[in-house]
Order: sequence, then structure tokens, then C-alpha cells
Amino acid sequence: MSSIAQMISNLEDENVVAEVQKQLDSGVNPLDIFKECQAGMVEVGNKFSCGEYFVSDLMMAGAIFKEVGDLITPYLKGQGGASAGKVVVGTVFGDIHDIGKDLVVAMLSAANFEVIDVGVDAKPEAFINALKENPDATVLGLSCLLTTCYDSLKETIDAVTEAGLREKVKIMIGGGPVDQGVVEYSGADRFGRDAQDAVTVCKELMGS
Amino acid sequence: MIFIGEKINGTRSKVKEAVINRNIDYIQSLAISQSEAGADFLDINAGTDPDRETEDLIWLIEKVQAVTDTPICIDSSTPSAIKEALKVTRVTPMINSINGDQKRLEEFLPFIKERNCSVIALCLDESMSGMPKSIDDRMHVLENIFLATRAAGIEDSKVYIDPLIMSAATDQKAGIIAFDCIRTIRGKYPQAHITGGLSNISYGLPDRSLINRTFLTLAIAAGMDSAVVNPTDTDLIQSLFATELLLGKDKFCRRYTTASKNAFKKK
Repeated sequence: MSSIAQMISNLEDENVVAEVQKQLDSGVNPLDIFKECQAGMVEVGNKFSCGEYFVSDLMMAGAIFKEVGDLITPYLKGQGGASAGKVVVGTVFGDIHDIGKDLVVAMLSAANFEVIDVGVDAKPEAFINALKENPDATVLGLSCLLTTCYDSLKETIDAVTEAGLREKVKIMIGGGPVDQGVVEYSGADRFGRDAQDAVTVCKELMGS
Repeated sequence: MIFIGEKINGTRSKVKEAVINRNIDYIQSLAISQSEAGADFLDINAGTDPDRETEDLIWLIEKVQAVTDTPICIDSSTPSAIKEALKVTRVTPMINSINGDQKRLEEFLPFIKERNCSVIALCLDESMSGMPKSIDDRMHVLENIFLATRAAGIEDSKVYIDPLIMSAATDQKAGIIAFDCIRTIRGKYPQAHITGGLSNISYGLPDRSLINRTFLTLAIAAGMDSAVVNPTDTDLIQSLFATELLLGKDKFCRRYTTASKNAFKKK
């Protein structure tokens, strides 16, 4: 692993920012730098999955990734790398939790997915509009942390079906109490246990 | 310190399984262990689908009451389920919960007043979008709640305010916000109780029990006088006795020394 990836995976926030700036100044291809950052984030995700890192570490990695992303973006000027795919993500109506959803957005972005974030307490129309505006989105991610909002999940998915969009998107759900039973109840395809699992599930859904 | 035992909650998978399979022994063992540890109330949340919640709630309450006299805290958002549950509770229960949502207040306050129940009041308004961010947001919600409870003739001392404790892993200021908020509430509503679930604060972090009990110590110092907890956690009980001693609330340290002889098994 290169220095930038290594530094991100070790959460050396100041070193990462300094090194990225140094490489940008010395003319290193910004896309290569960005890929290094993504590799570091994958390593952070792995460390989280095996219990070495905690939620606070994921939050920190997300903040580092956003900071270096902001540094690199002006240098990229249209030479974006191939996206892994497009995902629409949001927390369903009646539920105002944003942290889990934001972590999923950060980890998906780091894994090179293009993420359309419709926010929290999002009505079914918000998801449907985003899917219509982004016909190339093939996965829809719904976050729900309240057991009282399972019906919101179901209604959102029903609305996607009624809008004639269910065939073209796979739906993954997640949030504290969500399990296979909720997948079956709501009519989703899969669920993810945490932000890192969301990346795995998303890749699998796009591959299928 | 008023402990509300959190373990009989159908959103926990083992409890849900026991509810669905009518596993009386498991539910009763949770009721007995929490009561023996000194729980003041036992929270009961069926956590099942709306079409069977009432039936499950009544089953749980009856089985729990068969083995303990500890008052029940009926945990549901369905007024009809709570009304039915109220018919079977032997001792005046606590209700979990109301919030700033006017519709919820209109539905809940009449039976709370009629049965002289205590009630947990969350510092949020369900009918509005967004978690309360600041202390001001929370205080604003509380003003609406107390306007309604006082108009309904419910004494402030029956209200258990939950300031909504957030996770320190996702917001480093979660702890300090909670303590400031508790102090502000204590100043404005001196007769009311201040409670809340302790486990949010440690979400996503290792050694959660350590964070929970340290939080409890600081929260008590700020004015918290109740908590929704696993009352069988002896480390937590230990911290509680030491905290009360250090805050001068334990005459000649007798409660602490007695609890120490009993290995802090009971609050």
C-alpha cells in the first residue's frame, strides 16, 4: 500500500492532507491520488468489519476523505474516473436519523459509486424523482432506524413499484433493527448490517 | 435514583422470540432479575406488529406481574394498546412515552391523568422533521409539553423528561450537550424527573459499560435522577453508589457501605 492509502488507513488526518497537497503541487495525476485515497478507505472499511476500528473511526475516515476530496476536486476538471455505478440513498419518511445514512454515503462514495443523496425524512416521491432524474441509477438504498417506520419502507418500495421503476432498480435497506424479516416485509432485495456491508451488498446487487 | 429496567423489549431479538413462542420462563427470569437488582419500574415493549401488539403487551404484563410487584412502564406508541394494558396493570404504571406532538398529547394525556400515571416525555416533536439539534430546540418542545400536562392537571413530578442522549462516536459533543441540557432542564422544571437511555452515548464504541456508567456519574452531577438501564449491571450500581456518596447524598456513607457488603448486587 502506498503512503497516502496507508496514512488514511491509519487515520493520520494531518499527514494525509499535507501529503495530498504536496503531491498535487508536484503535478502527480489527481486521479491517481484519488484512487490512493479510495484504497485507504477500503482498508478502513476492512478494519471496521474485523472489529479493529469503531464507529468513531469511520466518522473520522469520512471526514478525512471529504477533506482530501475537496482538495483534489478542483484539479480533476472533468477527468473523472469510471464510476462503479449510480446509487440513490435516503432515510425514509417519518425517520430523521442521518448519521448511518451519511456513513453509507461516505463509504459508497469512497468505493467510487456516484451517490444521489435525497436526505432524511424523505417522502416516496423524493426517491422516485431522484430515480427518474437519474435513469442510470441501478440501486436504491433506504435507511430506517425506527421499528415504527417499517411501513414507510414498505410504502416507499410500493410507490417505486407503482411508478414502474421496480424492475430497473435493486433495493437495499439498512439501519439498526433492520433484518431479513424486514426485507421480506417491505419487499426489498437485501439488507446491510453497517456502512461497510452496504458497499458489499451494493456491489453484489449491481453484479447480479 | 429511579431505575427503569430496559430488558423486556421486543425490539431485542431474543425477547421478540420469547414473545412469539410464549416463552414464559425467559420473560419471567428477566422480570425477576431486574426486580431483584432494584429496578423501580420494568419497561415492557411488545415490539410486535400492530395487529398483535395489544395481545402481546397484555400477555407480557400478566406474566411479569405473576412474579413481581415492581410497577410496569408500558412502552408503546399505540393509544388503544396502552388503554387495554392499563386495565390489567395492578400497580399504577408509567407510560413510555409522550413528546411535543399535539396529536399524541391529546390522545395520551386523558388516560395518564385519569390513572395518575407517571410519563416519560421525549424532548422531540414527532410531527416535525428533524431531531432537535440544540438545547433551545429541546427546551422549546418541553414548553409545549408542560403547557399541555399542566392544563390536563398532571403534576410536574409525574413527568420524566428524556433529553435525548446522542452517540459520542458520531458527535464528540454529545456528552457535553447532554449535561448542559440536563442542567438547563433541572433549573426550569425543578419538580420534574430527568431520565433517558444510557446506551446511546456509547453506541459504536468498545467497552460500552465503562462509558455508560461514567456518563451516569456526570449526568447525576448535572441533575439527572432516573435512567433507563440494565439494572443487573453491578458495575453500574457500583458507580451509582459512589457517585451519590461523593455528591453528599449518602448520610454517613451508609448506603454505600451496606451496598458494598452486598457486592453491589442491588441498587
